[in-house]
Amino acid sequence: MKRGWLILFMLGFGLEAQASNSDWQSTWDAVLYAYPERLWRTEESVLNPDNRLARLADTSFTGEARLNLRLANDRYRISARPILSIRHEKESGESEPQGYLSQWQLRTALTPYWAASIGREVMNWGPAQFHSPSSPFYFDNGRSNPLRELSGVDAVKLAWTPDHRHALSIAFVEDSGHKHASPDDWKNTLLLKGDMRGDDWAGGLALAQARGSALFVGIHLQQTLNDACLLYGEISSTKRIDTLLSPRDFSQPFSLLAVSPRRETGLIGATYTLENGHSLTLEYLHDGHGYSRAESRAYFARAASSLAAAGLALAASPLLLNRNYLHMIWQNNLLDGDDYWRLMMSHNMDDGSTEFTAYIEHAVNGRLTLFLLGTLDSGGSRREYGMVIERSLNLGLRLALP
Amino acid sequence: MKRITNPSLLLAILALLSSGPSFAAPDAQAILQRSDHARGGGLPGIVWEIQLTPREGARQMETQHLEVRASVDASIAETLEPARFRGSKILQVGRNMWLTKPGLSKPVPVSPRQRLTGQASNGDIAATNYAADYTATLAGESVVANESCYILDLKARHNRTTYDQIRYWVTKDREVALKAEFYSLSGKLLKTATFEYGLEISYHGRNIPFVSHMLISDALIDADTDMRYSNVRIRVIDPSAFELGQLQ
Repeated sequence: MKRGWLILFMLGFGLEAQASNSDWQSTWDAVLYAYPERLWRTEESVLNPDNRLARLADTSFTGEARLNLRLANDRYRISARPILSIRHEKESGESEPQGYLSQWQLRTALTPYWAASIGREVMNWGPAQFHSPSSPFYFDNGRSNPLRELSGVDAVKLAWTPDHRHALSIAFVEDSGHKHASPDDWKNTLLLKGDMRGDDWAGGLALAQARGSALFVGIHLQQTLNDACLLYGEISSTKRIDTLLSPRDFSQPFSLLAVSPRRETGLIGATYTLENGHSLTLEYLHDGHGYSRAESRAYFARAASSLAAAGLALAASPLLLNRNYLHMIWQNNLLDGDDYWRLMMSHNMDDGSTEFTAYIEHAVNGRLTLFLLGTLDSGGSRREYGMVIERSLNLGLRLALP
Repeated sequence: MKRITNPSLLLAILALLSSGPSFAAPDAQAILQRSDHARGGGLPGIVWEIQLTPREGARQMETQHLEVRASVDASIAETLEPARFRGSKILQVGRNMWLTKPGLSKPVPVSPRQRLTGQASNGDIAATNYAADYTATLAGESVVANESCYILDLKARHNRTTYDQIRYWVTKDREVALKAEFYSLSGKLLKTATFEYGLEISYHGRNIPFVSHMLISDALIDADTDMRYSNVRIRVIDPSAFELGQLQ
């Protein structure tokens, strides 16, 4: 975060806060995680031959503390979410400790309708669960590592909320936050976002443009059809940078395109809640940036030709390899009772591969929860779900403090 | 004595005699509106805490402690205890509902059928605005817990309500609801509830009794949810509090 912005904001914030007579209230809580992970790599993986490129640890152990600190009164709020973690890999014997601010925010309510904030904020929205097409910063929606919490983007924001059915905000996103990629797709981005909510529907429009890049347009909409049924959709139109082209003719080499043509990505979904609180969700996603069936076949054939080609294919593959996906979820009530479970299936309709995921939580008591996360990829070495990892299993515990 | 021979005059005198205060039909909608105050409705905004304890058969389940912030047709319920659910929130605006908890990548939309815990739906824990959502008619009178009550039949004005029909017992003196029966559109009894008013709030210079205890019982199975209210404050809540971006 640029120091100038921060100093300016802190100065204004400090002066305003000093003038405020309201009582400050501080709270904190923390959640400790500990989980070993076992990976079964895909045999004869084209993209990671003999594990020489991805260098994945078969067995690892992660310990993590997620703290939540908050100081607030009626007008001001200071919050921080520091994360301390250590990951130990059994085979190499290496340990990687790290500490960072996953999210933080200084926020002031200028009037009952206007608020200004600066910080690292997770700007992810829309009703879709598989991926988030309408969000410029979080298309992946945390799917690449479900046990890791999303970290925010560094931004200064001004928000206008005239009532609880309308909201408009403008933000300057300085960069993609902790461990952002280089080059950073969203460095110096201007974001304009509007939201509306009716009696039984909600929708939003997001416009984002990084300096020197193309405009991102994202729209999300949801409708509560009746007591049990939700219908929703998300769509976006954008150009992506550093796109790996994979011509159908695999005798031609990969090429990197600095900026892709403008493409659309859309998702429609529905959720039905049963009388017992279980819910069933079905989503279909079409990603115009993905490869056609022939292009992805050529992608694997080309990657198999040399280690360098495999490295390029692994590092620069599209966010989703192909174009058409189905995602299904069956879960019980997130907030009711001692146990929570969620079964998911993601199916690539172009290459026929499928990923099955099961997440199960069991509460030992009010603070301690045991959890299990297992994935199974059916595709093998030349299809998306299975191209690097065949199976994985995490078994862990979570302790809430105080 | 002079006889009254004009029939119109006779009718007018009879009408005048029968319109005295002791014969006035009570205004069911006005009674309903006043009874809403004692359950958080019709106020500019309100914050309270609830301890919910569900029971199913002989099994007493874990108590959940929530803080609820509500305005006219929006509410946020945040779980304070148990610690493993801390920070989980349900946001409701009109009929739209979202759920979030720490670790989720973003708030997840949920349907109104999604229960919070036990028998309590989100509509049960939010402020009660029955006067805005239901049309009331007077169905009779009876005595509940030694208090004389009006019996009101409530019919939903729109499809955004938690229940389609409610039979509601409101005391004549205090104008608070002591008992309710909740019905589906087909007339099937779904739940019953009883209320106690051990709290008091001050609004527009008036001291109003406020709900302190609600017991919701399932009409189909042996299960109920005990809800105890505390720390009630009338407070206008900024619209931004109901913004999805502020939930996490």
